[in-house]
Amino acid sequence: MAVAAAAKVQEVREITRIERIGAHSHIRGLGLDDSLEARHVSQGMVGQVAARRAAGIVLQMVRDGRIAGRAVLLAGQPGTGKTAIATGLAHALGYDTPFTSMAGSEIYSLEMSKTEALTQAIRKSIGVRIKEESEIIEGEVVEVQIERPATGVGTKVGKLILKSTDMETVYDLGGKMIDSILKEKVQSGDVITIDKATGKISRLGRSFTRARDYDATGQQTRFVQCPEGELQKRKEVVHTVTLHEIDVINSRTHGFLALFSGDTGEIKPEVREQINGKVAEWREEGKAEIIPGVLFIDEVHMLDIECFSYLNRALENEMSPIVIMATNRGITRIRGTNYHSPHGIPLDLLDRMIIVPTVPYDEKELKEILSIRCEEEDVQLEDKALEILTKICTETSLRYAIQLITTSGLIARKRKAPEVGIEDVKKAYMLFYDESRSIQYLTDYQKQFMFDQGDETVASMDTS
Amino acid sequence: MTDWFTTLKNAKKTCIQQGNLRKVHFALPNAKEMVEEYNMDTGVVTRRAWKLKKEIGGEGDWFIEVGDPDPTVLKTDTLIKENSTQPFISRRITKKHLEWRIRNLPYPVDVYSVQVDNEKNVLIVRTNNKKYYKILNVPELERLNLPLQQTNVQFTHKFNTLIITYEKPIMLMDFEKTLFEEIRSLKARKDTEMDCKPS
Repeated sequence: MAVAAAAKVQEVREITRIERIGAHSHIRGLGLDDSLEARHVSQGMVGQVAARRAAGIVLQMVRDGRIAGRAVLLAGQPGTGKTAIATGLAHALGYDTPFTSMAGSEIYSLEMSKTEALTQAIRKSIGVRIKEESEIIEGEVVEVQIERPATGVGTKVGKLILKSTDMETVYDLGGKMIDSILKEKVQSGDVITIDKATGKISRLGRSFTRARDYDATGQQTRFVQCPEGELQKRKEVVHTVTLHEIDVINSRTHGFLALFSGDTGEIKPEVREQINGKVAEWREEGKAEIIPGVLFIDEVHMLDIECFSYLNRALENEMSPIVIMATNRGITRIRGTNYHSPHGIPLDLLDRMIIVPTVPYDEKELKEILSIRCEEEDVQLEDKALEILTKICTETSLRYAIQLITTSGLIARKRKAPEVGIEDVKKAYMLFYDESRSIQYLTDYQKQFMFDQGDETVASMDTS
Repeated sequence: MTDWFTTLKNAKKTCIQQGNLRKVHFALPNAKEMVEEYNMDTGVVTRRAWKLKKEIGGEGDWFIEVGDPDPTVLKTDTLIKENSTQPFISRRITKKHLEWRIRNLPYPVDVYSVQVDNEKNVLIVRTNNKKYYKILNVPELERLNLPLQQTNVQFTHKFNTLIITYEKPIMLMDFEKTLFEEIRSLKARKDTEMDCKPS
């Protein structure tokens, strides 16, 4: 009985809190096979076969790590999976290769200049793998205690008890550490290592002494011996830091000088130069390895002419990463000038890029994407409803149809239906306007809105 | 004399005097830094600290080899640290002995064993209830390439503290004596003297 109760408690603990769902959270990779051919539906990606193959080749280029400073442009209509491909690429690269994602408008800040923001983004995308001696705590988890303050506000308090075959120690955990312990789902009986400086947790497996805790264990459960000797050891570990992180560590002013430094977030060029020299030296000595990563700039047409000419130059540097840009613009004005150019990008930069087009999805693919999203958002759709939704999708837009999934799901739940029917989708469709119906509505009732100019045509909005 | 003595002798030394304490900063080869604090009345090192350098740069912390550890400032971004009830070690040097004090060890004296590991030239503290285990380096002897001897080790337990004493070998005493003469002959600046006149 007691065993059953314990198992029950365990089960409750196993359930993870529902993760928040983002627009691209269903994507887990590029969906390519070993020969980099795109599978039609895989890892959350659907269709767009040519673009994904191209991304696969870019992936190979990054993995080889020999070619620096290439630029790739993903061009296509809105809602054709440009950001999805970039997200998939990031997943496919793995966590050891730096991937920086930014939107074109992020560079505009009062805190630092545009080029500084771009430089930082570029340097965030280059990793340096370096060997360093680090304090490692290695032991078997005896107990994890995480307590929220009774008032509900304030910082959480965490304790971790670890043991080896020879000793046992109680550790206090900081806020960040508590989060990563929860995320890693560390339980008693796990054998873990913690990097004391970075807080990185790795699970080595479960302790042999706990092998009989459950009758059934997952296939990938690995059993390991409880570590011996001291819990805390000095070990040489290899970790990856980005050039930007090294910049930040070395540019902080120390001691009393910190009083006089107006921290603007900008890093002096001398510091960067010094670090480049140092890194080159390490590489020569075989101490470090450079991992060029990927910088993804979404909505790249929001960059202006200065940024483009800066990029022209920056891409030529041998330390630069592979830059992937995405845009949904056609021939339009280059920001900061009156010249028109394809994608709003100057021709000389376009000339340096390889351009990957994305094409609109066909109906079958749209249906596939919608059903993947339904699964991700945990909404059950009747077959008929899915068909209707696909139809809405072809007539309006993919994004609008995706918006209808959760809304119609909620409507269905209101009437306590297990599945979403045609009625629910219809209701949601009536409640929420898509873009074209909204325009229609405005043109019909224009006169009743505020500041209406009557029959005068609306001045076209300046979007550049 | 020994290699270590010549390294110290050739190092760039800066020295200040504070009451009867003399603090010496050694700039050693390979950009290493060490600070020692001597009690000029007894000629014994009361504190010794090493600067820890990180490969990727940035300001390193000081590692206190001998003397009381620095009070730890509670940083907001502390990731993980030992609970304050956990054992911690402070080292002390007296005229004839090297001492380790391991505080917060509540178990009775017969639980502990302190043994010399001749292979690695370290002391190993064990508890037979498997609650505490520690490998203690003896940097003073390591630097002079002297082996450890079990007969020189003694320990007592009092007020939740395990005190381990190791009798200094003659070689170490001689080394310390000559080094102290060297330190005594250094020109020390008074703590109150300054290069500039603050307004």
